[in-house]
This record gives sequence, structure tokens and C-alpha cells, in this order.
Amino acid sequence: MRVRIFLWRHLNKLRWVSLSLVFAMLIILPCLHIYQTYVAAHAYDLLAPSEKRFYDVMESLTAPFINDPAEDLDAVKGNTWSGNFWGLKLSDPLAVLGQMAAGFSLYWPFILTALIPIAVTAFFGRVFCGWICPANFLYELNSNLAAWLQWAGLRTGARRFDKRIKYGVLGLGLLLSAATGSIMVAAVYPPAIVGRELYYVIAQGGFGVGMVFFVGTLLFDLLVSRRGFCRYLCPGGALYSLLGRYRLVRVRRVVESCNDCQKCNAVCEFALAPMTDGFGQECTNCAACMAVCPTDALTFDIRLFDHPEQGPGHLGRRYRREPSDENDANKAAEEAAA
Amino acid sequence: MRRRTFIQSMGGGALAALATSATAANAAASPSARSTKRYLRPPGALAEEEFLSRCIHCGQCGEACPNRCIKYFGAENGAAAIDTPYIEPREKACILCMKCGDVCPTGAIRPIPREAGAILEHVHMGKAKVDENLCLSFQGKSCGVCYWACPLPDVAITVGYMEQPHVTDACVGCGLCERSCIQMPQAIRVMPNRDAT
Repeated sequence: MRVRIFLWRHLNKLRWVSLSLVFAMLIILPCLHIYQTYVAAHAYDLLAPSEKRFYDVMESLTAPFINDPAEDLDAVKGNTWSGNFWGLKLSDPLAVLGQMAAGFSLYWPFILTALIPIAVTAFFGRVFCGWICPANFLYELNSNLAAWLQWAGLRTGARRFDKRIKYGVLGLGLLLSAATGSIMVAAVYPPAIVGRELYYVIAQGGFGVGMVFFVGTLLFDLLVSRRGFCRYLCPGGALYSLLGRYRLVRVRRVVESCNDCQKCNAVCEFALAPMTDGFGQECTNCAACMAVCPTDALTFDIRLFDHPEQGPGHLGRRYRREPSDENDANKAAEEAAA
Repeated sequence: MRRRTFIQSMGGGALAALATSATAANAAASPSARSTKRYLRPPGALAEEEFLSRCIHCGQCGEACPNRCIKYFGAENGAAAIDTPYIEPREKACILCMKCGDVCPTGAIRPIPREAGAILEHVHMGKAKVDENLCLSFQGKSCGVCYWACPLPDVAITVGYMEQPHVTDACVGCGLCERSCIQMPQAIRVMPNRDAT
């Protein structure tokens, strides 16, 4: 008998903490930047009252950790698209691929910044989408909003499309980048847009054009297809799916404790089918299915491939009705145990 | 960016979406010819075409800029330039701190040490040009503000009789003279040089 680690049903909460922290970082970094510019200007007395309040708040928040705001706060800059953490530069693999397409060139210092994200994706799969992506944070909240609207009796979008469309979007985006000589995928990639637009609205005084696109995708998700953008259109999701195709950490369904309740299929934001072992390359290891499973039948496993379909869950009705040798043997064993 | 209100960006976004292919064709043909706007790229930026192919629109240069002079294009300058950084010197000029080059992950803005020699050699944002019909010093009112604003005085700009400014070829185009000009409209402007590195 397999030892089950029940902690895994709480992973989903940890994931929300992670998503919230990343989103909070995207808000706090532009604020720190503004604070830095105030410090650099040496003109506290010339600030407006509201700016002075802002300055005081930021100063009290950062003073315990730093000596010189103008220099020390440079340690963390950027967003999930490309950022700098205490000298460690990290970039989205899509940024590197898009830049390579736009420039027809290899700039190694930049390519190396995507190495860690690529390695993480190769091990853990599409975790960026589920655990880090600031757009996913908003899309999931949007998805919850849709659930509330449904509860209130309104109809939200539930259309389904072909999941392979996003690979086409990725290819088309790279082709367009190559044709125009500018990284076009950055304009249709929500996490890049959200990171940028939060910076624009906080430090630059207003939203840029990307916000129109992003609001469009939110409406698309709400009115046309639940989580439609991530499932069917996101070029970055497509790239992460490809990179995570042979990931080592996979969700596994323990067929012995599954009762075929379908809650995992319903909760999956990416329209996968955990109940029939249908994970595939697009699973983000987000652990939402584990959190909802009433019998703790979902667990993590280290495997290069998914389990092939294991048939109905042993706690479900279908399994008890279906006559088969294995079934009978199991029943005999259970009766013997009883 | 101040004027980049939501409504405007709505219009711009729709326009960009419709005209992506058309503007893209123009952009491929000649990256600097399509704009009527006079803007500078951040100090150390590559030549325009290469710059556009390198820049990943991450916004870190602006976030590093202690002077907040780096702004970002909306759709007004063609689809290829959306979300790329620029400087409008009359609004806020570059102080040549060279932080943007340090933080740029792709080398679209090259890292250049903050020394006069390196800056003079590698920074070519543009070159200041004096309009003698507007300049107070050429109109008999001794001024010289641009000279005092210049981070490279006597190297990039010299003053003669009545503080009349003369820009030399060493000018890197930071725009501090244009920012500080007390004449309205400004009598000294930086003419962008986006095709040299």
C-alpha cells in the first residue's frame, strides 16, 4: 500500500500565496522606483503633500533593510518577463525565443538568463503558468467571478476550442517577430503585458495599449470561453507546454482511492481530465485538482510519462459493476480483508 | 505617457490591431523614417533597427532611471515600436547615469561605464543644435544656461562672446541643454541620431 502524503491537498493554498506574492511584487517594485527617484532628486521639501506621504510610507517600509535607497533598491528590478534579482537575471523563455526570431541572432548573455526557467520547466512542467504568472492570477480570479455570476443565474461563456490553436499562435507570433524585426509576441503575452502595464500605471501615469488587449482577454474568458486565452491562445503557455512535455514531476491518480466523482475534471482550469488520467503536456502542476479531491486520490509522482488510463476508480460505482478478472480478484481481496 | 489616457490607448490599440501588417511593412522598410516625432533612445542604445530587434519591451530601463526620463511608446509610433523606451528631452532629459544599460538584459542598451571618456566614445543619442534666431545670447541678452546645464561643458558645448553657445561634435545628445533652455520655444534642440551606435 502506498503511503499518501495528505499535505498535497494544501499545496493549492501555497500556490495562491505564490501568485499573490508575485503580483504584490509587480506593484511594489514600481512604487520603490518612484521612491528612489524622490530620494535621488534630494527635494523632499518640494514634494506635494501626497507625495510626501508616499515617501514616508516607502521609507518606513524599506528603512530596516537598506542603507541607501537610491543604490540598494536597484537590487530587484523588472517583472516576470525579464527581471533582475540581486544580480541574477532571469527571463521568460518566450522573451528569448521571440528576441532570437526578431533579431536572427544569438546574444548569449540574454539567452543564459532563460536557462533557470527552462530547467525548472523541464523538471516541474508548466509551473510558471500555475504558480507565478501574474496574468493567471487575474484570470483565475476572473474565473471565480464567472462562477459567482453563474451562481447568480447569469450565463458565462463555456465554449471549447482546439487546444492546439496556441501552438499556431506561438508560431505565428514568432513569424511576425521575424518579419517585423520587433518582438511581436510580447504584445500578445498576458504576463508580459500585466507586468508592463502595472509599471506604466504606477510609475508612468497611465495604462498603455497592452491593457486594451488584456481587458479583451478577460472579457473573452468571461463571455466566450472559460479560461479561453490560457487554454487555447497563449503563446507562452504553448512554449512552456512544449518545454514541460517530458517533465519529471507529474500529478498521478491513485486509482485505488478514486471514486469517479469528476470534481477534478470540473475544477481544472486548463480543461484537462485528471479523472481519466488525461494530464498530458499542458498540466501546470497547479494542484487545484488535489485540493478538491474528496478521497485524496491525486498525488505527485516522479515519472517521465503519464500513467496510461487506469479505468474507473475503485471506490466508484462503475468499478463495482464492471465484471473483470482483476476486479473480481480485488473484491475477493477486500472481502478477505474484511 | 502623461497624455496616454485610457481612451486614447483604446483608439490606439484598435488602430494598432487593424494596421499591424501595414505598419509592420513600413517598419521593415525604414525604421527611422516612419516617425514624425522627435525622440531620443536611451544612452548607449543600438542603431534603431537593431535596437528594435533586441528590445524585449520589459520596461527595466525605465524602472532603473533615477530621473524618470525614460518613457514608453504607445501605438503612436508604429507597431514595431510599441512599448519601446524613448526620451523626450524637453520634458525630461537624460542625466547620463548609465543605469539603463546596466539593467538591460538584451544589450539593446549597451552597458557603458559612467566615465566621461566612455560616454563620449559610445553614447550617440543625437546632437544639440542652436537656433540663433531664438537664442537669447545671439539676441543680445547674455544667457548661457545651456552651457551650465551641460554635463560635458567645454567639451560638448563652448560659449563665446555674450555666452553664445557653440555645440561641438563631441555632443552626445543627452538633452539637458534643451531641458534647461529658458526660451519658449526652446532655442537649442537635440537632433536625434538613432542610426549610429
